[in-house]
Order: sequence, then C-alpha cells, then structure tokens
Amino acid sequence: MPGTAEVRSLYRAFLRESVKFPNYNIREYVKRRATTGFRQHATEKDTAVLDSLRQQAQADLEVVKRQAIVYHLYSRKQKSVMDIPLATMLEEQAAAAPYSQSSS
Amino acid sequence: MVLAGLVASVTRGVLSRVQIPVNLQQSGLQAVGAAGSLSIWRSFAKGTYLDKNEVTDRVLNVVKHFEKVDENKVNPSVNFQRDLGLDSLDTVEVVMAFEEEFGVEIPDAEAEKILSTNEAIEYIASHPQAK
Repeated sequence: MPGTAEVRSLYRAFLRESVKFPNYNIREYVKRRATTGFRQHATEKDTAVLDSLRQQAQADLEVVKRQAIVYHLYSRKQKSVMDIPLATMLEEQAAAAPYSQSSS
Repeated sequence: MVLAGLVASVTRGVLSRVQIPVNLQQSGLQAVGAAGSLSIWRSFAKGTYLDKNEVTDRVLNVVKHFEKVDENKVNPSVNFQRDLGLDSLDTVEVVMAFEEEFGVEIPDAEAEKILSTNEAIEYIASHPQAK
C-alpha cells in the first residue's frame, strides 16, 4: 500500500522524539500516546481520512519536537524516582540513613 | 562604581581561568598530551565490530522481551511478521528497541529492511559503532 512507509517513518519519528524528554512522565506519555494513536487507526482504509490523520500527525510531531526542547530548558536536576536504578536508590538511602545497627 | 567593581571581578575571573592552561603548558603538559591524544585518537579510529555471537544473543534477548512475542518461537532466523505475528508498527518498535540496546541510530531506509532477527543481526554486526 502506498504511504505505509511514510506512516512507519512518522511513527519512528515520534518514538525517537519521545526519548528526548528529560521528564519520565512526559517521556512515557508521548511514547504511549503515539502507540495508541497509531494503533487506533491501524486498519483505516479511507484515503481522505488517512490524509487528514497524516497531516495531524505531522503537526503533532512538530509540537512534540518543540516541547522536547522546552522541557529541556526547564528540566529539573532531580530525576524521577522511576529513572533511578533500584540498586543505586537503595545504596543512597542506606548511606543517608541516620540510624545504624548500634542503635536499639 | 558598581560597574567598575563588576568589570574588575569579571577580569579577575577571566584571568584565573586563563592561568590554568598556561601553568599546564609549563609543567607536565607534554607528557599528558602525548598519552592523552593517543588514547583519544585510538577511540575514534578503532572500528569496533561486535562479535556475531554476542550480537545474536542480545538481539534474541531484545526480541524475547518484547511484550507481544512468544519467547519459545524466537530463533536466529525468525521473521517478525510472518513467524511472530507482529504487525508493521510492532516491527518499528522492535527496531527501535535494537537501536536502544546497541546505541546506534538506524536510518529509515535501513530500518525498513530489517524484517527478521537474521537481518537485524547482519545489520548490527556490520555496524562499526554498535556497542
């Protein structure tokens, strides 16, 4: 079918952009939204609808690209708890813990 | 007055920064420079092709961990769509997972050709930047 390569390329572009978000929640949301959005219309046959969807996707992709930059400008140094490997987190907590085995 | 103070502090700041390389040059820069530039050069020049067995293991591991895949069906020559029942959008996701695993960016034209584990292994094993 003509245009499916372009759609796959768009989907790929969304997934590529999504990983650029520094914030865990937004990153996962963009990925999830792209996946559900493309899945939702996976069986669409009507070329007029496909055309409008493609245009919408292209416009949305621009928004995602811009927002990835904006989120970088205002990103926090502190990471989301979901971004920290469990082992690292436990080590840091153990190091910061005020109580030790000597206390009752 | 405030402006003069500002200029003075900026000048001091700049000078303190400039001094560091000058000092380095006088002391041990040559020795450091020789060793340092060699190691930097090496890291750029070396084409690090990954071992094919390792690539195979990691590719199969990525495919097995894809949520819609029955991991018992995965082998080194399995076609994503025909054998694993994935659709074209899933294939895009799998190829993106390879990119993440091996730290490479696969261009669209190449990504379109990767339709089986075999093709993925071939592509990554022949990619000098894969790691």
